[in-house]
Amino acid sequence: MPGVRRLQLPAGVQDLLPAEAAAKRRLEEMLLRLFSSWGYREVVTPTFEFIEALDVGPAASSEELLYKFIDREGHILALRPDLTTPIARLTATKLRHSSFPLRLCYAANVFRYEAPQAGRMREFHQAGVELIGADGSRADAEVIALAVEALQEAGLVDFRIGIGQVAITKAVLAELELQPEAEMAVKEALVGKDLVRLTGLLAQYSVPPAASRRVEGLFGLHGGEEVLERATGLLAGTPAARYLRELEEVFIALKALGLQRYLFIDLGILRAFDYYTGIVFEGYVPGLGFPVCGGGRYDELLEQFGFPCPATGFALGIERLLMARDKAGVAFPPSVPGYLVAGPSPASLLREARRLRQQGAVVELDAQGWSREEAEKQARERGLNLIWVDD
Amino acid sequence: MDQYLTFALPKGKLSGKTLELLHTIGLPLDGVETEGRQLVFTFPEEELRYIICRPTDIPTYVEYGAADLGIVGKDTIEEAGADVFELVDLKFGYCRFVVAALREKWEQAGSLEELLAMGHRRVATKFPRVAANFFRNQGLQVEIIKLHGNIELAPQVGLADLIVDIVSTGRTLRENDLVEVAPIFPATARLIANRVSYRLKHRQLAEMAAKMRAAVEKQETGTVR
Repeated sequence: MPGVRRLQLPAGVQDLLPAEAAAKRRLEEMLLRLFSSWGYREVVTPTFEFIEALDVGPAASSEELLYKFIDREGHILALRPDLTTPIARLTATKLRHSSFPLRLCYAANVFRYEAPQAGRMREFHQAGVELIGADGSRADAEVIALAVEALQEAGLVDFRIGIGQVAITKAVLAELELQPEAEMAVKEALVGKDLVRLTGLLAQYSVPPAASRRVEGLFGLHGGEEVLERATGLLAGTPAARYLRELEEVFIALKALGLQRYLFIDLGILRAFDYYTGIVFEGYVPGLGFPVCGGGRYDELLEQFGFPCPATGFALGIERLLMARDKAGVAFPPSVPGYLVAGPSPASLLREARRLRQQGAVVELDAQGWSREEAEKQARERGLNLIWVDD
Repeated sequence: MDQYLTFALPKGKLSGKTLELLHTIGLPLDGVETEGRQLVFTFPEEELRYIICRPTDIPTYVEYGAADLGIVGKDTIEEAGADVFELVDLKFGYCRFVVAALREKWEQAGSLEELLAMGHRRVATKFPRVAANFFRNQGLQVEIIKLHGNIELAPQVGLADLIVDIVSTGRTLRENDLVEVAPIFPATARLIANRVSYRLKHRQLAEMAAKMRAAVEKQETGTVR
């Protein structure tokens, strides 16, 4: 007897039925079309690679998240946990002589060995862009503006993008001059937004009160433009001040585009902290417990592939966007009318079907030789218009 | 945008202190009780909704954004491994995670390493994740057996050699001839928030957290003799 597993799927993967697959396809097409209109060109990278090429990216901050296996030559391979890392490798090798800045985009599936009880999918889909070879606030503002348009394109109205700047947090942390383990613990507490642990750690490592206030103060810096002013006060005279100016430039550029109502600043947004180097951002939709998109500046990744080069980008979670659309009641426009073409003569059916298809219709052929009565019943069940061809 | 704040409150041993705290910071509580059949309480004027949950489910409700906020023990948060923001240590509901063994075996062995070396490697617990993390971090290999309650029974009937459990006074351990052989970490109740709610409803959440923090501090200084 075949095991029960023959009919089951492992945890974290799913089938998409026709309606779901159609929604996913249409959303991806819309996004890729948008990216392409901004000059981003699509690339496709392999589903698996050598582990050495993948364990440097944002999703691999914990190596346990990688799906690993061994090929017959004994090399360790891994399934891609994101597209940013493969695209960095591709750029550093095959595209290093192209004109920069380079704009690349993708829509693909990714794999992460998430804890099963969290209910997260282990295979899911992302669409995103990478803007490689451009530093400075213009590039940061471009990808954030594109993220706003992508969420609009996805049919969402009620969303916000929170912008942070991890370089500020890094500078404030460096100033504490902690031992490596202590710094690691403080970082963990900051990234996990574990204020309770953070306060405990700052006391445990005897961080002076003024510096402690700065670290804890970063958490509370949330809001519109006024946050920049409050942050200026908090960071005045520290090395972090110059990174705050970058954030200000980005915000002003986006405001000039009229995007202010979608944006807020939150210096508590850190994402994959070790990997990002500057402006970071996340997109949120009310009622959905997870961000729908995220990204930021990662100026040190390409160096890992021997090609030092600044870069920024973002990825949208396709499943999460579809969920957000569902919640907001956004429907795709109705599909083209469908026909069932039936009748006694197969040759006539094919001719009629071709004629209708040339007009853009979706046509199903009767493959069974139904009677007129049966064909009418079948058409009703499928929601199709019956075309009965007599001769 | 839905401005209602959904607050997950625990049934059971943390519920008394939780309601007390909500009362202290001036939240509406008319008719709210945690052990009855009604599980949702809505206060339209304050745009506030309470949902009553089993403590072990609260990190899940909050992680998925079904609740914006929740009050739950650190023990439960750790075991759930949920990705939530931990905003305030509410200081009540104190307990500790410990490793415990039968007194007799412990006295023979003298150390955890020795005990495991003697082939005693089965650990019974309600908290498999916490237990697995602890032993892994110590570089010790054990076999975890997940049970749902009365863990102290397992060593007595030979199902396990060690247990990982939470203790508050240590009385249950003593009554069952068990001794604590290693502390894991202490736990108290925490205010947790969904990571998206924390950004989108920041003002309301930050205000609530500040009030709770102030109430907790006030209580602490008030009880110091």
